[in-house]
Amino acid sequence: MIKKRLVGVITVKQGWAVQSFGFQRHLPLGRPEVVAENLDRWGVDEILLQCIDRSRSGAGPDEGPDLALLDRLSRQGLSTPLIYQGGIRSVDDAVAAVQAGAERIAVDSLLRDDPATAAALAGPLGAQAVIAALPLAWQDGELQWLDHRHKHATPLPADLLAVLRSGAISEAVLIDWRHEGQHGGQGGGFDDALLDHWPVPGLPLIAFGGLGDPLRLRQVLQRPAVVAAGVGNALSWREHAVQQFKTALRGLPMRQPVYAAAPYSGSRFVTALPARGVHR
Amino acid sequence: MTPRRITAALVDYGAGNLASVARAFTGLGYRCRSSRDPGALATADLLVLPGVGAFPAAMAALHAHHLVDFLGERARAGQPIIGICLGMQLLADNSSEHGLTAGLGLVPGHVRPLPQARWHIGWNSVDVLGDDPLLRPSDGESLYFNHAYAFSAPGPYTVAVSRLDDALDAPVTVAVHRHNIVGLQFHPEKSQGAGQALLRNVVEGLLQ
Repeated sequence: MIKKRLVGVITVKQGWAVQSFGFQRHLPLGRPEVVAENLDRWGVDEILLQCIDRSRSGAGPDEGPDLALLDRLSRQGLSTPLIYQGGIRSVDDAVAAVQAGAERIAVDSLLRDDPATAAALAGPLGAQAVIAALPLAWQDGELQWLDHRHKHATPLPADLLAVLRSGAISEAVLIDWRHEGQHGGQGGGFDDALLDHWPVPGLPLIAFGGLGDPLRLRQVLQRPAVVAAGVGNALSWREHAVQQFKTALRGLPMRQPVYAAAPYSGSRFVTALPARGVHR
Repeated sequence: MTPRRITAALVDYGAGNLASVARAFTGLGYRCRSSRDPGALATADLLVLPGVGAFPAAMAALHAHHLVDFLGERARAGQPIIGICLGMQLLADNSSEHGLTAGLGLVPGHVRPLPQARWHIGWNSVDVLGDDPLLRPSDGESLYFNHAYAFSAPGPYTVAVSRLDDALDAPVTVAVHRHNIVGLQFHPEKSQGAGQALLRNVVEGLLQ
């Protein structure tokens, strides 16, 4: 049967992997390539690479997806499926990101700016490759969707819900942005209200934000609608954290912990491969 | 004397990410080239047909690059061919994705929407049917899937299946094998150690 997934989240700002706290504070971790290689070897089920500064507030031009980073990761030989998020403005951007190495695309700002184009991504990519990323909070008795570029939140609008119900999106990442970066132990962390009040039943969910505690992670993964959970900072705090999480999650329908002593590609950070030609 | 290294040629028809597949092959110690030139493809030890996206667009790209007849000729000549994900589906007679589109017709069968779910996304275990020597060592292994349509092939060609929910679910064909042609619905290049082992067995089994 299909397994639930532990998703390693890599947040990238100005080209560097960072720890992120509540969508507000960021501490540098290092090169995203290094973080990705570690997650790959440690056996995480999927990697979500979110480049958080590719869509601007309107004051400057959008930078578009970070295709150069995707290309570097792809040539590095990651053997773990990769979701890319950040700067997707059009169908062409999404296709380019897939051709550069992503298996799937997550969109956030595009859902707000141009939901019809977000739905149209399923045409060339297939809906299985398209994910909605939604920073949410439960506030004043309703789900509030954060516009992180303009620092305000609104209820989920009808056109967004229509896209989510249309079959053009295969999964939604529910991001508890207020608890993002928190450990989540002792009853804290990811807010169950996001799941309790989620208005699109049948759409598989990836929970993210405040899931650094294995017990909290287990509780969320036990929810039937939750097919995966994302963990960011907590996977970078210690060596082999993925296996430790997986061991703590035994009994859930998940892939067993695995570990590779060396990169799957057999070499580190290959950057000089030609786009076409012989690869030795 | 050093044994000759196996050379895999990726069919570059513009659909999907070739670099990840290429790195999977080079990571196993094989040489790998990507090309759409028939001469370069025909001299490789095996052809790899990758692909992501929609079936009609991929077939249109193969036609545009004059690769449809070429792949049929290479299959009949006995050159090993591995289709991955959409590349497996392209081996079929036809697909109903966005209307009926003819495929390469290299493995009998057709591609239709998954019967019991919209999508098959994530890691799933594979049940290898019979004693196919290429796939048998991977029986029970978890591999990464990402698709909405599935290949329905006659019994003799279906060599592995998966089930989406539980043992009572109708099986989904996830690997086909006909003579020198193998199709893999999952992504071995994105399935970590289990995918590497399977890919090695398939390559070396086809070249025996």
